[in-house]
Amino acid sequence: MSTTWKDKLGDRIASDLGREIDIFETQIELRKQGKIDERVFAETRLRRGIYGQRYDNGQRHDGQKIQKLKIAAGGLTKGPDTVWDAPGMMRIKVPFGGLNAEQMETLADLSEEYADGISHVTTRQDIQYHFVHIEDTPALMRRLAAVGITTREACGNVVRNVTACPLAGICRDETFDVTPYAKASSKFLLGHPDTQDFGRKFKVAFSGCAQHPCGLTSMHDMGVIARTRSENGTERRGFEFYVGGGLGAVPYKAQLFDEFLPEEELLPTAQAIARVFARLGEKRNRARARIKFLIANLGIEKFRQLVAEERRKLAPDDRWTGYLADTRQDSERPLRAGSALNGQVRPEGFEAWYATNVYRQRQPGYVAATVTLPLGDITADQLRDLAGIARRFVRETVRTTVDQNILLRWVSEADLPELYRALKQIGLADPNAGTIVDVTSCPGTDTCKLGIASSRGLAKELRQRLSEKSFELDQAVKDLRIKVSGCFNSCGQHHVADIGFYGISRNINGYTVPHFQVMLGGKFRDNAGAYGLAIGAVPSKRIPEVVTRVTDRYVAERHKGESFQDFIGRIGKKETKAMLEDLMKVPAHDEAPTFYSDWGDTREFTLTDMGVGECAGEVVSQAQFTLAASEREIFEAQIWFDAGDLQKAAVLAYGAMVRAAEALVRTQNYEASHDQEVIVGEFRRLFCDTQLFYDKYAGSTFADYLFKARDAVRELDGIHKGVALQRLQEAQLFIDAAHSCYNKIAAGAAPAVAPASPVSEARSA
Amino acid sequence: MNIQKINVKFFVAEPSRVALEPFIGIFNSWIQASEGEYYDLADYGHVPSGPGIVLVADEANISLDNTENRLGLLYNRKRPLEGSDTDKLASAVASALAYCRRIEDEPALEGRVRFRGDEAVIAINDRLAAPNNEETLSALRPAIDALAHRLFGTADFTVEKESDSRRRFGVRIRAARPFNTEALLENLQKSVN
Repeated sequence: MSTTWKDKLGDRIASDLGREIDIFETQIELRKQGKIDERVFAETRLRRGIYGQRYDNGQRHDGQKIQKLKIAAGGLTKGPDTVWDAPGMMRIKVPFGGLNAEQMETLADLSEEYADGISHVTTRQDIQYHFVHIEDTPALMRRLAAVGITTREACGNVVRNVTACPLAGICRDETFDVTPYAKASSKFLLGHPDTQDFGRKFKVAFSGCAQHPCGLTSMHDMGVIARTRSENGTERRGFEFYVGGGLGAVPYKAQLFDEFLPEEELLPTAQAIARVFARLGEKRNRARARIKFLIANLGIEKFRQLVAEERRKLAPDDRWTGYLADTRQDSERPLRAGSALNGQVRPEGFEAWYATNVYRQRQPGYVAATVTLPLGDITADQLRDLAGIARRFVRETVRTTVDQNILLRWVSEADLPELYRALKQIGLADPNAGTIVDVTSCPGTDTCKLGIASSRGLAKELRQRLSEKSFELDQAVKDLRIKVSGCFNSCGQHHVADIGFYGISRNINGYTVPHFQVMLGGKFRDNAGAYGLAIGAVPSKRIPEVVTRVTDRYVAERHKGESFQDFIGRIGKKETKAMLEDLMKVPAHDEAPTFYSDWGDTREFTLTDMGVGECAGEVVSQAQFTLAASEREIFEAQIWFDAGDLQKAAVLAYGAMVRAAEALVRTQNYEASHDQEVIVGEFRRLFCDTQLFYDKYAGSTFADYLFKARDAVRELDGIHKGVALQRLQEAQLFIDAAHSCYNKIAAGAAPAVAPASPVSEARSA
Repeated sequence: MNIQKINVKFFVAEPSRVALEPFIGIFNSWIQASEGEYYDLADYGHVPSGPGIVLVADEANISLDNTENRLGLLYNRKRPLEGSDTDKLASAVASALAYCRRIEDEPALEGRVRFRGDEAVIAINDRLAAPNNEETLSALRPAIDALAHRLFGTADFTVEKESDSRRRFGVRIRAARPFNTEALLENLQKSVN
């Protein structure tokens, strides 16, 4: 029998992570057997970071016709309209962007073996792979788990990667290092029962200060900025705490929830917010399901009040404060003694790189060096070599950034020339980090089902053109930021760029033409302090001219010290639009056919490849998930039965029944404990006494199976095979009946008992 | 040893004459001419020493790959092959060579692209099945030698294992005299007959 990664890495994988992956592997098997609904499976895989990708519906427009792709799947799907064997995207969470060398090496290896050889850094500090086959994902996850990385909850309607300023701990202006808080939040919220029933995703960001852009807290569902307060002569740590921000089609700036939330209240408040969002957030209309809409509907005052009520109800949890003792220690240490850059031979190209890619840390003698990644992409060889560099120059203190770059922290300044040489040798010494050349982009039509125009194609073009003339750019222009999204959903964060673009299309004389909406004057600083102004739609191929024209005019007409935002505000939307008016025109097809294709794509442009995005996840209720879990448990019981462990099979079968009962109980009593006895009691009270769980023909028979199994599970010694088999069969029948009962409740055929008061208050508000 | 996920790379003879960008159009024309075998294109032309332009398919990905700053055609087999190790290696090499020939004959390139037949890199894209160590080399050496004989006939050749242990297991096979892709394909065909 051949060895598997599970055999090889078993003892290196934390038991909880290992169990998670085992469960997912079982779910893959169940889906292949048709025992899990495709929607439930879709959300299940999304919550493990496995996304669909463009063309995974099995068809692609080749520029002449729609081609049906040869994908061997036998009709099997991994979600609605998503073919099983079609390659997809894998998102890997990197909390606060922190990576060590071993993790980088593993990421490099996996990108080669399971993807297309590229690790892509996202605008939320994650890593993404493309063209991954679902059958490879359990092995991929195990190899990540062995180096302490999880993909859990990287996608889906859950708490996504917790991001933080990559300069945290070394920043000259921060109030304190937010790293341990971001780390604790990420750990605490991951898989927490109170974060499993959202109608949409929930994003959290930490920043050490209010004025810099690194944390982008204003555009997050929960944005946290470090603050201190003096109380009785003692400095107390806390946070300026924001909620309800978000980009997307309708950008909302986060609202102040608390001007000083004490540090010990961070996690319980996050938990209370999660509970309010889970209970009151929109579930059916995904376009209105982010927490920003709930807060806008309720008003911040009412939202605060609901969170406070929820907070009071929470049972104390040691994890809320358990980590605080470690927050005063430095989370990182340098490898080498810090010393100044003085007298070392500086290689060619060093000065330009030094000017844009090096940040002087608050710790004397140390700097952080940005490794600029074109469009956030890095090859396997580069990533492996960068891991070596991280071992050689720093103590593996590496972070990904929201600018899609990688930051090496704690570099002794005297080592910079040598570091530059090492980076140059592997093609990673490009200058211009954080400048107008360093264009940020989402995947767009390259791989995203929702993409309208080629954001990466445009970003590549702009990057190339701006890079060629970067030496002659005015410093005021050099300091601007360009961000590109392939559609209005804002994954490229176009709202917070000085110059932002998002993909749209226009119909010109019967042809569909790729365009970008021009957004000017967004504010990246002040943690994404203001959103840009939509100016108008420009054909994709004329966007480089837009950049030139806008920046030239800014240089020519700006007042002394005037920011780009102020300049755009001063000249006004009408004048700005007039300046670009001629660029908005599209020449006839015969005259300029290139206008009818997108950047980096020779096909004539079409929208027929767009699919249904998976960003919003599948709206699958917690009850459906719990019922799916009961199916998996009965499947595992069957495996133990087949292996001859009858006692274990019977125990698992009973557990599966209780799990199914719990799914129903929580639709009526959200607060019920997870204790098996409590669940069975509540099931009897809410479903048997009320006859909600009652079959037209079998009456209470199926419910009786549960009670019989509960009595029998106490005496399983020497259980006979026939009896065990009967338990399994009865358990399966009970689970089937639970599904029917849930369907009745969901369809409104059975009355649902109103949960605790806040829900009804909110719905009437 | 049951090897799968075989990667084969043949190098472009005069890389300075070859730009990556035209391959977007060329690969797209292959997609148009196909019956759904190819799924998509990935353009990594902006990444130094990177995967270049990748034509993604279920059976194997094909790319104009620039890893180690050496431009070549990379055939990245994904679906399992059958037969002995030598047969599987020969099958992957034959497929790679067929793609090389297709590029050499591509009208849009006007004969600018020729591949060197005297050097190939063969790697196993599976660190579990084929860790990069001497044991793997010992296990695969007979199959690699047999493949080299099929390809180069009586010409001398060398086999050099990838020395960086962090990288995948791979060997670089070099013939002592020049070969073109057509000759290699013929040799492979003859050895089968």
